[in-house]
Amino acid sequence: MRSASFARLVLGGLAGLAALVMGCGNDPYPPSDATARVLYGSFVDAPKSLDPAVAYSQREHAITGAVYDTLLEYHFLKRPLELIPGLAAALPEVTDLGGGRSRWRFELRPDLLFHDDPCFTLSAPEARTRRITSADFAFSLARIADPKVGSPVIEPFSNIEDFQAFGERLAARRASDPEFAALPVHAQYRLVGPIAGVATPADSILEITLARPYPQIKYWFAMEFSAPVPWEAIAYYDGEQGRPRFDDHPVGSGPFQLTRYDKRAIFVLEKSANWYGVRHPEWRAPGAVYPSEGEERDRAAGRLESAGRPLPMIERIEMRREKEDIPRFNKFMQGYYDNSGIAAENFDTVIREGALSPEMEALGIALDKEVSPTIFFLGFNMDDPVVGRGRDAAARKRNRLLRQAMSLAIDGEEFLRIFLNGRGVPAQSPIPPNIYGYDPDYRNPFRTPDLERARVLRAAAGYRGGVDPATGEALRLTFDSYNTTTAGLIQHQYYTNAWKKLGLDVRIEAVTYNQFQDKLRNGAHQVFEFGWGADYPDPENFLFLFWSAMRNSASGGPNYANFADDRFDALFLEMKVMENGPARMAKIREMIAILEDERPWIELMVREDYLLRHGWLANVKPSGLSIPTYQYLDIDVERRAELRVAWNEPIVWPLYVLSAGAVLVVIPGVLTYLKERQ
Amino acid sequence: MGAYVLRRLGWGALVLLGVLFLLFVLFFAVTDPDDIARKALGEKVPPAVIEQWKANHGYDRPLWPWQDFENNLLFDHYRRMLTFDFGLSDADDSPITERIRDGMGPSLALTVPLLVLGLGVSIPLSLLVAFFRETYIDRMGVFLCVLAMSVSTLLYIIGAQFLIGKVLRWFPISGFDPDPLLLPRFLALPLLVGVLSGIGADVRFYRTAFIEESTRDFVRTARAKGASEARIMTRHVLRNALIPILTQVVLAIPFLFSGSLLLESFFGIPGLGGVTVDAIQANDFSTLRTMVFIYSLLFVFGQIATDLSYGLVDPRVRFE
Repeated sequence: MRSASFARLVLGGLAGLAALVMGCGNDPYPPSDATARVLYGSFVDAPKSLDPAVAYSQREHAITGAVYDTLLEYHFLKRPLELIPGLAAALPEVTDLGGGRSRWRFELRPDLLFHDDPCFTLSAPEARTRRITSADFAFSLARIADPKVGSPVIEPFSNIEDFQAFGERLAARRASDPEFAALPVHAQYRLVGPIAGVATPADSILEITLARPYPQIKYWFAMEFSAPVPWEAIAYYDGEQGRPRFDDHPVGSGPFQLTRYDKRAIFVLEKSANWYGVRHPEWRAPGAVYPSEGEERDRAAGRLESAGRPLPMIERIEMRREKEDIPRFNKFMQGYYDNSGIAAENFDTVIREGALSPEMEALGIALDKEVSPTIFFLGFNMDDPVVGRGRDAAARKRNRLLRQAMSLAIDGEEFLRIFLNGRGVPAQSPIPPNIYGYDPDYRNPFRTPDLERARVLRAAAGYRGGVDPATGEALRLTFDSYNTTTAGLIQHQYYTNAWKKLGLDVRIEAVTYNQFQDKLRNGAHQVFEFGWGADYPDPENFLFLFWSAMRNSASGGPNYANFADDRFDALFLEMKVMENGPARMAKIREMIAILEDERPWIELMVREDYLLRHGWLANVKPSGLSIPTYQYLDIDVERRAELRVAWNEPIVWPLYVLSAGAVLVVIPGVLTYLKERQ
Repeated sequence: MGAYVLRRLGWGALVLLGVLFLLFVLFFAVTDPDDIARKALGEKVPPAVIEQWKANHGYDRPLWPWQDFENNLLFDHYRRMLTFDFGLSDADDSPITERIRDGMGPSLALTVPLLVLGLGVSIPLSLLVAFFRETYIDRMGVFLCVLAMSVSTLLYIIGAQFLIGKVLRWFPISGFDPDPLLLPRFLALPLLVGVLSGIGADVRFYRTAFIEESTRDFVRTARAKGASEARIMTRHVLRNALIPILTQVVLAIPFLFSGSLLLESFFGIPGLGGVTVDAIQANDFSTLRTMVFIYSLLFVFGQIATDLSYGLVDPRVRFE
């Protein structure tokens, strides 16, 4: 009797378990969301800080870019990128004040609101939000200048009059006056400020005065650094009494509001009812309506079909953390993520000859490719006596010929094929595609591999057979890198093997990133590898890497090659303040010609990002900059729900095979048991 | 027993102080705070920002007491760790205590059922194979155990995600939701993998213990008295083999809090295992220091608890 009831219990348990299993399914989302207009995606690395004055990486901008709206923004479809008004009613009026000074006048849209948030009770007990004024922009700029905030972009904003001095005044007062240091920051800014170059003559007017020519400042007003931040949020979100810290709780005015944030697991952004585009669709503001102009390829890809529709088109964004490629890609293939990158192990399955494989196409998956404005290069330390500019004319010529020879030995196209599955474009100049000044037809004569010519140049440099006449042995050089991984070592060997063909003995010195930085700062490098990503779409952001004022050895700037050339400097200073046009293009070409001959860099490649998306996700067009464009996305939710069901029908035959195997193993065991019982 | 416990606690405290000193040497004397700052801030920041970051994190102070007795990093390191005031993460400035508290729930949600299920499966299985020793069941059991031990955990994970998540489509491939109604769906797969990957080693270990006990005189006596084999196995063998089982279990308990690195990483569970992995990947030295200290603390107290538990299950054990 007892054994019979035990058997019934076991069978009941098994049946219950089976029912649980069969009723479960692999859908990770609640059934109520099956047809909701939700974008599902994933992220790998946890964001560090959501403080717009500090956040400076793609993973952070994926949130801050949606939460914080800016005075200006980029046109979604036009390339090269073009600025349009955002929170500003129009592009700024620029007045030349003489002596290189200029005033940038922004007029704000009326009736702009911050997101609803409890922090606003600090300004009025019942308040859930409040109107955005120019003082909020001035507060944000003061935060960038505040040394305690540790903003990484103090330097470009220091072109604003009194900007740096404000930070110094603030730090000095804090050090000398403990009572002042204990005040809330907005009170401190009020007592020490304002920044002379940031004026707020009216609630809707913001005037920025630049102390020196810096037309690129406009791009910084299209980035979250300068987005309005309410002082209440800084005062309220201090990490005390169970309140989160401000860098984990953004309060902005963008199209989406962060409603759930577990940085190690998930973040959820929901359409903000306070966004001006939602509250005032009748304004037809350029940043709040889907554009009707674009490139021909946009028309071909159907990206102009949403023209004129009010933004945002989706209600919610859910991003879940997936640290591993395999589960992430599998969930994309099941339809549970709307887009995905391509893991190296899946590349051959997904991509055939640079295009989507027929199997993926049959599933309605689309491939978006976008060249990222990030250039990778091998550089020479121009202060070095062997590969640098040289002390006299003879040394200058000899070293330049050596650099030219080494440049000719490196095959950027082969490098891309071997190490990046061909995902990229061999670089010909320091200016990447989609940046003004990039010429797709330009061919650098020293960036097409030619070993014969390289050997001739090497011999002309005085290193016949690669032998250094001073030692009688192969010329020994050092290649410095901060990539200490095995994969990195293989890449380094690719370069050194190429130079070995010229008879050069280039030794690899791979150190940690910090040791590498020390080497750069101390000028202890010879040949090195590095990359540079665009902060904004202007050639100045790349060509300043060769400006002598930015030499790392002299000023700690990002001219890591320590390149210095008077003619280049003069051209750079002229080009920097020019508007895009033929005259600017001519200057850029002349500068590129100098670099072509001098070879402070061996331009290696520009990375190309491949993004997979399901056919139900429309209006995807990466900008190459870390700017999220969620508000332009559209989802065919019915199609998604239908395909998810179709793609996730259980395949049960492997279960039968496994069960049969298990039975085969168990039967002799049962027989043994019965035999033992007897 | 009181003296024994005090002595063990004293030794444990000394070990912890030593670990803390080693941690300090490794994380401060070998790694420069400048390196930590640069890693945290990235490549484009100017030197002034690095200096400010160091000041914000208290890394601008001298390392050793003889440089500044009042205000040095060594004393501060000991004070913080011993008072469980772990400070802020080097990577993102978030409070480390909060991060540990947040990670502990998901880790325990995985590891506690894993321990219980693992014991619930492996003890009966080892009793079975031990009972049928030298028969097909024992030989096949040992063969399967060795096979199970030889397979990498990673293969179990990928295999289970493929078979159960992708082919049979019973459970989500990965994910986590703290909602008690949704949680079991996300934990089912990692639990299955955890039990399967540990079963081989556990069954072999417990089987050995059971077989050793089943050859003892009292078992022969029980059998001579006419006790059934099932009763002998459960009442006599199992009870007397509890010491090795208990050693395993008590030692495992502290590590329930530390989570499972691989399972959490592949199944997207935001537990403490992931905190350590994230800290390593992000060069988040303050979090890493804290996690190493916590692991040491758990290990030392796990050892002491194991020793004390012997006396509870075996009255013959005396603490001296």
